Amino acid sequence: DEETQAPIAKRPKNKQRVLLLSSRGITHRMRHFMNDLEALLPHVKKDSKLDSKNHLHLLPELADLNNCNNTLYFEARRHEDLYLWAAKTPNGPSIKMHVQNVHTMDELKMTGNCLKGSRGILSFDKSFDESEWGRLTKEVFTHIFGVPPQARKAKPFIDHILTFSVLDDKIWFRNFQIIEKDPTQPNGPPQTSLVEIGPRFVLTPIRIFEGAFSGATVYSNPEFVSPAAVRSALKRAKGNKYGKRKQ
Amino acid sequence: EDSVPRQKIEIDNKIALERIRDTIKLDPSLPWTETLSVTYPAVIEVDVDDDLNRELAFYKQALDGAKKAMSLAEKHRLPFTRPADYFAEMVKSDAHMERIRQRLLDESATIKRSE
Repeated sequence: DEETQAPIAKRPKNKQRVLLLSSRGITHRMRHFMNDLEALLPHVKKDSKLDSKNHLHLLPELADLNNCNNTLYFEARRHEDLYLWAAKTPNGPSIKMHVQNVHTMDELKMTGNCLKGSRGILSFDKSFDESEWGRLTKEVFTHIFGVPPQARKAKPFIDHILTFSVLDDKIWFRNFQIIEKDPTQPNGPPQTSLVEIGPRFVLTPIRIFEGAFSGATVYSNPEFVSPAAVRSALKRAKGNKYGKRKQ
Repeated sequence: EDSVPRQKIEIDNKIALERIRDTIKLDPSLPWTETLSVTYPAVIEVDVDDDLNRELAFYKQALDGAKKAMSLAEKHRLPFTRPADYFAEMVKSDAHMERIRQRLLDESATIKRSE
């Protein structure tokens, strides 16, 4: 209700802060990945690991204590599977996703670089606008991955772009440095090119809940197969082969 | 014995999804400079397993976004290009960039040697 009481706000502002934390049991790769996100997003507040995986209802409270209206929560299972919750706190919605194919910025193959805390451009492909869950996801990601102009650690120039693309029912993330001059001709005409900075990851949406880490399911992905089920199917197939040979 | 395959129930409550989006939606009167968000006017349709073409599609999307953002930034008078005399901390440290450079040099040396 603060907005209505404020004495004629001069301009509407995009106020976002994101709480970033993980569960216990994350591997080094997952930890590096989280650090990458923290380095790229200056409006992120990182917190210590959450003790229990069964008390997610604590998260909205924790976000409130840190003056955050968004939460990114990484949940590691069996020390190999990583899930990401992207939630608007305290009133929801929350999106649960499975994270795969993580490449961090530490890898030497990605040669780009950008200012620490510069605001990134967000690019969404058209598929996000073609389904209702896509539109909602786009809105939530715009809040979480878009750096608001008044973020305290933000730098005043723009030198990278974050892309979100839907392909194969998954959301693919890339981060590119924007180079405006051809490096071989520093005095030539400006020519835009891109170099990848990292990180890379792929998100499979699993469910969207109405509340923040709670509430009714409003979307579920029928295509999603849990990684544990995939592994057990693989093992069973191998076991069958052995069983047949023995007979 | 085989377990009975269980059909997963799909939930796609479009009405609720739309209502939720309405509650969190940013003020449409916000200037573009508040979010810096652009939309790529095409759907990405490539073979997922074809790494080269897939990455090319993402690159094209990013390039289109970068160009759009540049013209939008100019329109909104938002500083975009970093001046040459502006130095600040980068996300990757100098030591890390040096390792990347060294690797590129090593690679090109290997290629030359094999030629």
